[in-house]
Amino acid sequence: MTHLTLSNICKQFAGTTAVEDFNLEVEKGEFVSFLGPSGCGKTTTLRMIAGFEVPTTGKVTIDDTDITYQAPNQRNVGMVFQAYALFPNMTVAQNIGYGLRIRKESKTAIKERVTEMLALIHLEKKGNSYPHQLSGGQQQRVALARALAIRPQVLLLDEPLSALDAKIRVSLRAEIRAIQKKLGITAIYVTHDQEEALSISDRIVVMYEGRIEQVGTPFEIYNFPQTAFVASFVGTLNTAPAEVVDPAKHLLKIDGVQLESAEMLEDKHAGDKVTIAIRPERFNFIAQERKANILDCQIENITFLGSVVRIQLLIGSNRFYMDTFNNPFLELPKIGDKAQITCSREAVLVLKA
Amino acid sequence: MTALDEKRDAPLARPAPHKMSWAWLGVMPFFLFAFLFLIYPSSTIVVRSFQDSVTHGFTLKNILALFDNHYILGAYWISIEISLLTSVGGGIFGFLLAYAAIRGGLPSFMRSSLMTFCGVASNFAGVPLAFAFIALLSPTGLLISWLRALGYNPYFHGFTLYTFWGLSIVYMYFQFPLMVLIIAPAIDGLRREWLEASENLGASSFQYWRYVALPILLPSIMGTMILLFGNSFGAFATAQALTGGQINLVTIVIGSQLRGDALGDPGLGYAMALGMVVVMALAITGYTVLQRRTERWLR
Amino acid sequence: MRRGNRIWSWIVMIIGILYFFLPLLATFIFSLKAKLGVLSFQAYANVFHDPAFVYNFSYSVLWAISTIVVGILLFVPTAYLIRLRVPKLRSAVEFITLLPFVIPAIVFVFGLVRTFSHPPLLIVNSPALLIAGYTVLSMPYMYRSIDTGLRSIDVRTLTEAAQSLGAGWGSILFDIILPNIRVAILSGAFLSFAIVIGEYILAQYLAKPAFAPYMAYQIQQKAYEPAAMAIISFALTWAAMGIIALVGRGNGQAQVGGGH
Repeated sequence: MTHLTLSNICKQFAGTTAVEDFNLEVEKGEFVSFLGPSGCGKTTTLRMIAGFEVPTTGKVTIDDTDITYQAPNQRNVGMVFQAYALFPNMTVAQNIGYGLRIRKESKTAIKERVTEMLALIHLEKKGNSYPHQLSGGQQQRVALARALAIRPQVLLLDEPLSALDAKIRVSLRAEIRAIQKKLGITAIYVTHDQEEALSISDRIVVMYEGRIEQVGTPFEIYNFPQTAFVASFVGTLNTAPAEVVDPAKHLLKIDGVQLESAEMLEDKHAGDKVTIAIRPERFNFIAQERKANILDCQIENITFLGSVVRIQLLIGSNRFYMDTFNNPFLELPKIGDKAQITCSREAVLVLKA
Repeated sequence: MTALDEKRDAPLARPAPHKMSWAWLGVMPFFLFAFLFLIYPSSTIVVRSFQDSVTHGFTLKNILALFDNHYILGAYWISIEISLLTSVGGGIFGFLLAYAAIRGGLPSFMRSSLMTFCGVASNFAGVPLAFAFIALLSPTGLLISWLRALGYNPYFHGFTLYTFWGLSIVYMYFQFPLMVLIIAPAIDGLRREWLEASENLGASSFQYWRYVALPILLPSIMGTMILLFGNSFGAFATAQALTGGQINLVTIVIGSQLRGDALGDPGLGYAMALGMVVVMALAITGYTVLQRRTERWLR
Repeated sequence: MRRGNRIWSWIVMIIGILYFFLPLLATFIFSLKAKLGVLSFQAYANVFHDPAFVYNFSYSVLWAISTIVVGILLFVPTAYLIRLRVPKLRSAVEFITLLPFVIPAIVFVFGLVRTFSHPPLLIVNSPALLIAGYTVLSMPYMYRSIDTGLRSIDVRTLTEAAQSLGAGWGSILFDIILPNIRVAILSGAFLSFAIVIGEYILAQYLAKPAFAPYMAYQIQQKAYEPAAMAIISFALTWAAMGIIALVGRGNGQAQVGGGH
């Protein structure tokens, strides 16, 4: 069942368009990320769901109730801010209980709910601490508990991890996801970090310059990027200009080297210019005899990235990266060596213009 | 430094000892200056407050005499009253003004102009300020003549520029700008997300002020008001120029004691001055304590 | 912001503007009335042609410049050394620079006069005492301004960087530190200038020629000329603050002054 709907949302600020024709349906209990570079309109869209911005045109509904013009304090939507935004004059418990106090719930009910929330974020002993006595990660967990305490219909998270250290970011995002699943709450998560979006979401909305570029599961977004922007923004991707050789046989040519793709090219003609994309990890050194996609290359550089070794190579005049898993027995070519690599037909993506 | 100490120190881990003494020598002029022209004269006041003016022996006579002298107590009382009034009044108005300029949705140039105005106004005091208000609010002043033309003469209703209320109005001229200058950073420190978080959790804007904004700002507001209190308590030139010394403030009494032993007792003059220092020290301490508290929050 | 709030903001602002400008307007209008029946700058002409004004005002300027020079010579090396070499004296210096806030000017002058009017410290008639007094009164602003300037440039790293490049102490101070805190010194200097020009108590009780006591005396003698002097004095304060705002643009720190 559709829980949260954004239809035909547009938002203009003093002549510039921040969000353009945004349409999205979110299921109950779904975790959706808005992913994009800064200024792509993802935070503006989130703030329209919270009520801090009013769309220029379009409609926001929750459970078929139109909330487009409802004041933020009349909505039941919890929000977690980038910089925590905990009230510095209140203890952790008072922060978490604030929304319930506003709703005039009884003292015992508030106390019970606060205890429950503190247990949920594993900060049982910090109820009487003040925000400035907590670490950044702890503060953000309190902010999460505060947003959840009011039993919101939708939970909004505005880059909640961007102010934290790398290690805490990883552990806290797992914790956020676990809590969201446990409570079965619908969540919208804004981030510019593609790894974060891929790891945490049910679905990702990739945005660029106010428009939706692609909506899909992390699997679809990563493996089948539909636009050049998505391809370049999510993960590392080799792209190169190519020419269609034979649409029926899915044959392409990059700088004289023939490539076979699994993609449908019915709408293309021989000689059409396209852009192809191949993930670095889809390349392999040739181990057995193959017919298609045999690529001659020259090794330019080799970089250790920990679990992965990244090899920079030249195919014709195009520079490509190839990733291979690291292990102590790995036999690598030397810089300057000639080598042959290959990739499957499915790895060769043809991007939309 | 002894040889033993030298052995304990790792070589080059800190500046060599002779460099240290150079630095000490470098700050000596400052301390010498401060001692000669600030600390020594000030301690003279403290010492002589507890000194019999004839025998030079220790006595509490001067301090006790303060509390017996209705003229002096009255002076303290009026000084405290006028300082309370102008610090609270100037504090509230200054806060509203700063808030209006910073968060009131006014065009942004208003803020920088207000800050410049306040920088000027808080420094524009003393004799010229007194004269400016004489030109405005004396019986022949501009505003009074406007009001007279409208058929209302405040001087027929108990108002005079040269007593308590008049002086309070004049003091406000440097009080509220000082409030604006000092409270502005605190208002800047009030983060927009707090309002949004509060609204998001269902609070009205009254509830936001009641539970979040005011509690956060209160220590700064109180602290700055205390500073304003001290600012007005120690003011002398404005009152002297405005009333010609006719108003019985502590500073005015000390001024006339300085001109020629007006109290007829040198010891009493010292004790009075000491009393002022004590009040000011309390005020500054209060300000510092409250300021520390907010700094923790508004980082 | 909501519309209702904005209306309130405007109302408060307009009251503030009236409070600020009405006394000045009244003074200005009054200062133009020296000639019967017409508005003229006669009062200003009278003021500038009065040798007593020129005499007193020149002395005020002289006191101000001396105070600034003494202040810079005394406070720049101290603030620098305290930051870098002897941080353990930091709280002592902070206490001393705050003292003029705690001790009202009239009490300070009271102590000064009483201390230095008896042998062996009979220097109450020396201009040196007056300048020392002004230096003390402007110390909270001057010292703090310099110290804030030093804090904002991270003197330690700059000094170490200069040392590692082979600079000596003179070169560090004059090529690195001073140019970088020029703005802070200038704002401190102009604030001190405004304070000394407007200061009444010290010159009055040490019986030295100065602008403010002269003006206070004129208020009792004349009508229009003091108005003109008040406007001149205001213009000077405004100029000093304006210059501070101008040179300090970017580090946007408002200065809080005193001398009431």
